[in-house]
Amino acid sequence: MDRIDTITLEATLPDVFAGAEADEPVCRSEVWRRSVTLRRGENYLIMAESGTGKSSLCSFIYGNRSDYSGTISFNGTDIRSLGIAEWCDIRRRHIALLPQEMRLFGELTVMENIAIKNRLTDRYSEREIMAMLQEVEIDHKAGQRAGLLSIGQQQRAATVRALCQPFDFIILDEPVSHLDARNNGIVAAMVTRVAAEAGASVVATSVGNHLLLESPLTLNL
Amino acid sequence: MSRNKNGNLVWRLLRKNISVWQIAGYALANLAGLSIVLCALRFYGDVSDTFNSDDSFVRKDYLVISKKVSALNAIGAGAETTFSAAEVEKLNSQPWVRNTGTFTAANFNVYMSVNFQGKGMSTYMFLESIPDEFLDVSPEEWSFDPSRPEVPIIMSKDYLTLYNFGFAATRGMPQISETLMARVPIKLTLSGTGGRMEVPARIVGFSSRLNTLAAPQEFIDWANRCFSPEVAAADPSRLIVEVNSPGDPAIERYMQRNGYEIAGDKADSSKAGYFLTLVTVIVAAIGGIISLLAFFILMLSIFLLLQKNRRKLHDLMLLGYSPGQTARPYNTLVITVNVTVFVLSVVLTELGASWWRPRMEDMGIAQGSPWPAVCAGALITLVVTVANLLTIRRLVRRNF
Repeated sequence: MDRIDTITLEATLPDVFAGAEADEPVCRSEVWRRSVTLRRGENYLIMAESGTGKSSLCSFIYGNRSDYSGTISFNGTDIRSLGIAEWCDIRRRHIALLPQEMRLFGELTVMENIAIKNRLTDRYSEREIMAMLQEVEIDHKAGQRAGLLSIGQQQRAATVRALCQPFDFIILDEPVSHLDARNNGIVAAMVTRVAAEAGASVVATSVGNHLLLESPLTLNL
Repeated sequence: MSRNKNGNLVWRLLRKNISVWQIAGYALANLAGLSIVLCALRFYGDVSDTFNSDDSFVRKDYLVISKKVSALNAIGAGAETTFSAAEVEKLNSQPWVRNTGTFTAANFNVYMSVNFQGKGMSTYMFLESIPDEFLDVSPEEWSFDPSRPEVPIIMSKDYLTLYNFGFAATRGMPQISETLMARVPIKLTLSGTGGRMEVPARIVGFSSRLNTLAAPQEFIDWANRCFSPEVAAADPSRLIVEVNSPGDPAIERYMQRNGYEIAGDKADSSKAGYFLTLVTVIVAAIGGIISLLAFFILMLSIFLLLQKNRRKLHDLMLLGYSPGQTARPYNTLVITVNVTVFVLSVVLTELGASWWRPRMEDMGIAQGSPWPAVCAGALITLVVTVANLLTIRRLVRRNF
């Protein structure tokens, strides 16, 4: 795959909601069981209440889980047909993910956590990474073990790590849930700038504290 | 950022939960098992030449058997010393017998004259024949044509030795080699009730299997007809038996029960060879079992390790690492441990060999090559390593 232009969901429904199609929250969802297409270049905000399946959605699109019915496709290709090698390529070059639980390696330092991703993609130099950490105001934590950081600091470190690759879509699962408005703005500015430079999309989920994107398309999950 | 430094990052992440004790336990157990297997093979290779002409574990061999001659036979009484058709058939039906051949005796007189460098020698002698498939030499001229009679003879190696060291040395006769012996012209005078005839003969081969002077079956049949037409084909007095394993105790029991004798000490040396093979197989099997158990220890250790690091493996693959890249630290570990164990076991085997070899040299036992044991060790290591790598691959991919 050279580039992912569209991510399309057709009648997608997590298995866990099977049989509850007529009930809340599935019945009024704008994503589940509908036909939804995310286009490269647009920014999306997926608003959801807790327990509506937003982390599941992120995992489905990232090929991490497949416990859903219906189809999800990239440029019209059903992602269930993709093999391990193709997923590795997609995760390195096309779709970046910031999981809700960050998934930093607690025993490695912040810089090592970022380096372990960046070595795969050779995206940035160590100096550029330091500049990004400085931008989100955690450069002084670069040498500290990630496990010792506050959740808010971990979110920023993990966001920088997610940016260390070329991408068509960056999926951020509740990226600023532990950040104040000022830091939210800083992170949003950095993410949208990097995405805009590449003509890529930002897809952010939120249960309340939204990533401050400029006029995103909003979907209620 | 240096790639090498970052490669170490993955290792730093995944080495956690590696149990040094489990790996060391595996390495020691496998070292013990592999060393025992290699020592057994090495030892077997060293000594087997003494017992066997070839190296295969189950080896066919030939026994020449006859009946015991008692004092009564000398005065014409006593039991028959020939084998009846029924006896041959019964022998043939034994499970350890592959094939039986009969010696056909010549029922005529044979008088041999040799003229060698002006010195003549002549003697009465005998000839026998056995079916061709029992010969251990296959000379080109092994045939007989009555219209151009020349008799090819295969002679026991022992007879040449007897001549060279027993007769020639004391009688001032020249000692002769096998090749020279083959060039000596021999004249045979055949006589019987049917007449008398002189035919040329030649030694065409030397047998270490047959303790006789053998002529082609066609010749003996032809000559028996010509010179002793009135004598019916007699029962054979000696049999040659092809057996699976000459050391088989069942053979000796059968021989004793029927009053048969086995020529030479082939049965004894074969018995020692059989015993050696048996001991080697047992020792190698014990080593093999230890290695197999060690292999399961490693498999279990790998399984636990990957299970404990499941989340990290999964997270690395979420970052875009391929299962192959993720598995690499474990593959490197397994290969390093297995190759080290293999090298150490070869070193231990060589140390063992250097201990037993001087002792064997004192007994005049020739030495075998170390390569069969080394190759077997390499093969075992390869199989174990490949099985390990496949398991790692399977478990890592399961976490994708």
